[in-house]
Amino acid sequence: MLQPQQSSQNLVFTKQPYIEDVGPRKIKSIQFSMMSESEIMKAAEVQVYLGQYYNSNRVPIQGGLLDPRMGPANKSCSCATCHGGFGDCPGHFGYLNLALPVYNVGYLSTILDILKCICKSCSRILLDEKLCKEYLKKMRSPKMEALRKSDLMKSMVKKCSTMASKAVKCPRCGYINGMVKKAVGVLGIIHDLSKVNENEKECRSAISHTKESKASINAATYILNPVKVLFLFRRMTDEDCELLYLSDRPEKLIVTNIAVPPIAIRPSVIMDGSQSNENDITERLKRIIQANASLRQELLEASTAFKCLAGWDTLQVEVGQYINSDVRGVPFTMQVAKPLSGFVQRLKGKQGRFRGNLSGKRVEYTGRTVISPDPNLKITEVGIPIRMARILTYPERVSHHNIEKLRQCVRNGPDKYPGARMVRYPDGSARQVDRHLEDGDVVLFNRQPSLHRMSIMCHRARIMPWRTLRFNESVCNPYNADFDGDEMNMHVPQTEEARTEALMLMGVQNNLCTPKNGEILVASTQDFLTSSFLITRKDTFYDRAAFSLMCCYLGDGMDLIDLPTPAILKPIELWTGKQVFNVLLRPHANMRVYLNLTVKEKTYSNKLIRTEGDEEIRIDSMCPNDGFVYVRNSELISGQVGKATLGNGNKDGLYSVLLRDYGAHAAAVCMNRLAKLSSRWIGNHGFSIGIDDVQPKEELIDKKKRLLSENYEVCNVKIKEFNEGKLQLKPGCDAAQTLEALITDLLNRIREDAGKACMGGLPWRNSPLIMSQCGSKGSPINISQMVACVGQQSVGGRRAPNGFIDRSLPHFPRKSKAPAAKGFVANSFYSGLTATEFFFHTMGGREGLVDTAVKTADTGYMSRRLIKALEDLSIHYDNSVRNASGCIVQFLYGDDGMDPANMEGKSGDPLNFGRLLMKVEATCPVGENKYLSPEEISEMVRKLAEYGMNSDKCCSEAFIDSLRKFFEGHRDKLENKMKFIEDLSGDKNSDVLEKVVHKTSGITARQLEVFMETCFSRYRLKKIEAGTAIGAIGAQSIGEPGTQMTLKTFHFAGVASMNITQGVPRIKEIINGAKRISTPIITAELECDYNENSARVVKSRIEKTVLGQVAKSIKIVMTSRLSSIVITLDMQTIQDAHLCITADVVKESILQTPRIKLKEQHIKVLDFRKLEIFPPTEKSKIHFELHSLKKVLPMIMVKGIKTVERVVIAEKEKEKKKAKENEEEKKKYRLLVEGLVCLNF
Amino acid sequence: MSSIILFEDIFVVDKIDPDGKKFDKVSRIEARSQNCDMYMLLDVNVEIYPMLVGDKFALALAHTLNLDGTPDTGYYTQGGRKSLADKFEYIMHGKLYKISDEGSGKTLKAEIYVSYGGLLMMLKGDPSYITQFELDQKLFLLMRKL
Repeated sequence: MLQPQQSSQNLVFTKQPYIEDVGPRKIKSIQFSMMSESEIMKAAEVQVYLGQYYNSNRVPIQGGLLDPRMGPANKSCSCATCHGGFGDCPGHFGYLNLALPVYNVGYLSTILDILKCICKSCSRILLDEKLCKEYLKKMRSPKMEALRKSDLMKSMVKKCSTMASKAVKCPRCGYINGMVKKAVGVLGIIHDLSKVNENEKECRSAISHTKESKASINAATYILNPVKVLFLFRRMTDEDCELLYLSDRPEKLIVTNIAVPPIAIRPSVIMDGSQSNENDITERLKRIIQANASLRQELLEASTAFKCLAGWDTLQVEVGQYINSDVRGVPFTMQVAKPLSGFVQRLKGKQGRFRGNLSGKRVEYTGRTVISPDPNLKITEVGIPIRMARILTYPERVSHHNIEKLRQCVRNGPDKYPGARMVRYPDGSARQVDRHLEDGDVVLFNRQPSLHRMSIMCHRARIMPWRTLRFNESVCNPYNADFDGDEMNMHVPQTEEARTEALMLMGVQNNLCTPKNGEILVASTQDFLTSSFLITRKDTFYDRAAFSLMCCYLGDGMDLIDLPTPAILKPIELWTGKQVFNVLLRPHANMRVYLNLTVKEKTYSNKLIRTEGDEEIRIDSMCPNDGFVYVRNSELISGQVGKATLGNGNKDGLYSVLLRDYGAHAAAVCMNRLAKLSSRWIGNHGFSIGIDDVQPKEELIDKKKRLLSENYEVCNVKIKEFNEGKLQLKPGCDAAQTLEALITDLLNRIREDAGKACMGGLPWRNSPLIMSQCGSKGSPINISQMVACVGQQSVGGRRAPNGFIDRSLPHFPRKSKAPAAKGFVANSFYSGLTATEFFFHTMGGREGLVDTAVKTADTGYMSRRLIKALEDLSIHYDNSVRNASGCIVQFLYGDDGMDPANMEGKSGDPLNFGRLLMKVEATCPVGENKYLSPEEISEMVRKLAEYGMNSDKCCSEAFIDSLRKFFEGHRDKLENKMKFIEDLSGDKNSDVLEKVVHKTSGITARQLEVFMETCFSRYRLKKIEAGTAIGAIGAQSIGEPGTQMTLKTFHFAGVASMNITQGVPRIKEIINGAKRISTPIITAELECDYNENSARVVKSRIEKTVLGQVAKSIKIVMTSRLSSIVITLDMQTIQDAHLCITADVVKESILQTPRIKLKEQHIKVLDFRKLEIFPPTEKSKIHFELHSLKKVLPMIMVKGIKTVERVVIAEKEKEKKKAKENEEEKKKYRLLVEGLVCLNF
Repeated sequence: MSSIILFEDIFVVDKIDPDGKKFDKVSRIEARSQNCDMYMLLDVNVEIYPMLVGDKFALALAHTLNLDGTPDTGYYTQGGRKSLADKFEYIMHGKLYKISDEGSGKTLKAEIYVSYGGLLMMLKGDPSYITQFELDQKLFLLMRKL
């Protein structure tokens, strides 16, 4: 390749020759292979044969491992080969000749595979000619993929090795081959001929009789040494190589010459004294040279073969460890505590070359410090300390717009803040100034672990004093950050292109919602929720001064604000807190934001007010607790706003609606305003927690005492019943399980009731109560634990286990099952825990800690595997999902081609029609327009739907259908109401009534048109864009929530002790594709699901029933002449369980049981409940036979499916609820089957 | 005058806080009218205008306070001009946000819902009294104890 180029350089052209532009060159193929003996020698500049580094003058020795011909060792010297300096010379290889060849440990398995397939005498494939041809034809087929070919090769190896497991005669030379296997304990390969040679066998049996040492037995197994293998490999034909899917000659798999790598990759560091610190590779090479030298010496001395072998083994191990220091088969004597790392270690693992240096690198223009909150920053901003801004720079191109600013920066120098670090002249035309970071610069902000794409987002810089990175608390969620000492990283993009890209793709504003399901992620948290909750309380009133002040809080004093009319004009002017919110949503009349939404907050009381036909009309905005948030045209009509409205994770929340209807900017601005208002307001108002907040009232203490004593009493009764064996069993449980379930139930009830009593008794000003109600922090359980009762402590989902013999702690009597002895904490955190309670509490606490520690590692690995599996999936321009090699994975992403980030409906529907219609109705006033009749509505919907189906509107059929369905419901409602009025036609009131009906549920043509138009245009924008990396998004969407799950397994509600694996362990099972899952449960629907008896019958057919369960007795009967076993069946039990078992059935099942040597004639059915067994053995052994039979018989399965341990009849939950309402006690049943049975059906 | 006032009647307080007292300064009163047989739920700031069970009061709903009937601007203007407010003791300003109906046929009753900055009012009664109200109308509630 080089030659023609050189010659063309020598030619002098008078004219520039025409060279066709072939475009960018493409690599046709790359082939990876090993270097052969001679290739290594050719590539090398020097032969290395001395295991020394320096001579006495500290000069590297010629022919030593640090020979200067292999490249300069440090900056001061130059290369002896190319005379290049330390910076220019890439280094040169040396070579090291081994006295005897050794295996390359990396290819040991390949060598083994080849050896398995070839004859150990003539090096040909062990298969016969015909089969070889067939395989070769398949191998040469160009259609076959590489993966399939390697599979084919594996099958061939398997075929050969199964043939060789006996002894196989080579079809060509007739040599008899034995089995080839890896040697145990040493790095080597064994050719096992023990089964081959009959003579050998005789010999061996002879030897074993002489009680000789075991070493002589090994004489039959020939160790295949590398020399022999090399010889075999050299004789292999090229065709055979191709057949074995080898792209190169196999002899290259065996090391004869070692290429000594250049010094550049194994630098030698000279310490200050006379010592030098050598790289691991260098040291390993030194040891190889030493081992090689001693082996060569041994060979020269022509000593015995045995001794020679020892030196060879040493060399083999050294060379093996040179490549992979973790290689198996290293003799115990050569193992060291901290091995020198080999080449594999350099590449492998997180710190290895691939993951540590190629995929991930350390970078410039970054910073990292502790973070802290600042509600005065916008959500798109990040506060950067000045000292950081002085070091981080951005190369700004000088133009006449910024030259004055940059001049000042250069004048200020590198250390005074708005300064510059460097002036660059990249190509002479325009200069660049590396100026300090300034306000508005684009930076990337990141917190580890980066579990989803929102873990790194793009902010605008704000240079601020002090030493922390600061940002608005609203952005805590995507980073999963808090301020308990967390640190975060920032990066400064260095080009204008990078900045724009970062801002467009990673900007906070463009990542407000998660691509997982379209829920909003950047939203108000903590104090913002608390203060909004308090401000919008129904009885907060402000006078003119206070109200104006609050209006000023929400901006920086630069915004225009229209003061609304006060809600109460007389006797005094008063504004309500909700009016502050109106101002916040829409500060002045010129702002065209008309927000419309309804949200049910936590405090919403779900009481029915009336029913109308089938429909239940709820109280909605008239909720006495003010829990129904209704915003109409940016006016807060009702409701005390809390987490459901302002927080993350709700698709109908305020910010979600703003984002969908008015864009990300509107949502972001609103968040900024709320952050400012709430932090300033709560600073003045004050919000703290004190001991009096958790002091229980007398009333509560009494009630708790009563609760405890009552429930303890019940517990004691149950325990007593249990001890006497009178406890009524629960279905599918034994006595102990039943007791546990009952007691756990009771104790949980204590905590619940105490909690309820506690929550009811708290005044509304109670800070923990406020926090729990608005959703900013804490739950009712947390409060009741502080005030009333901590409750049952559990370890591994059970009550506290026994740490001592038969008891949890020595403070309790043995075998005590009382609540206090098993970890029930009756005290509250306020009243203080007793010593034993405290200990139980720490047990529960430690489990939680261990859990978090374990799960981070588990979920991290899970995420990594998910990403690795899906990383290359992306959307192509034909809307199909394809992987990197262009294979189609899905024809249309998610079957609808929609972007999950933009889905507005709760169940992933593209739009929430109900909300949209509400918005349209609110924003398009009726005015003088006419209302539509039901017929007109259907007609118009049909027309508009047709219009929407047009190709340019590209709405999917399913979408149009759902739209149609939505309006059908709407129309039916109107039609029903109109019908009632028509009945009254002629009445003087009829047109009044019609008017009212129209006002309540009518729609105008204009509204309908606007609604449909918005639907269509929005739908189009929600399609996923080509190029989206949906594989990575999908993997992150599964991996990220995984980190927030607990590892615990949970109970099935209702059915006792039917646990199912959930959370991380279950996901691990799914991802691993585990065949044996830990809790296989099948829910079987019954054809006839209202009859409990029929359910029982089915249950007994499925559940595994053994003879021991249905037999009354299994007795050994011995008479003088006969001895037998008599089985009597317990017909009562059998009938109770609806089993159809008679003696005949039992006989059949005994005969069918494997490994019982009974025949038809040995079993005699006496009557329908009795059968006798006569074991067929000699008289002398009959006694033992009988006893062993007696042991086995109860385990014999007589009915059901072998793998099904348990079947539980469960009532259907939903039906239960409805049955109550209809007062018709119609229970429905289904079966829960535990065990893997699906394969048997 | 009549065109300014959309609805006018005399009510008697039946109950105070039918669902229990939830807020310190605000109580929900349940009242019935004497002339038009209207049912009303109303949140009142009892701190500045105390109400008791059995209180009788006149109530009016108007769309403006200007006696000449010029519509309300929606933005608050100061100045003690003569207005409808002079005759009443307790005045609130809010927005009608919902009209709905209940029952069917002859017994059909209409409801209007008004929010006075979060203090809610529900007025239920014969549809003929409701027809003059419009959705999103700004309303003044005027009260005077008798």
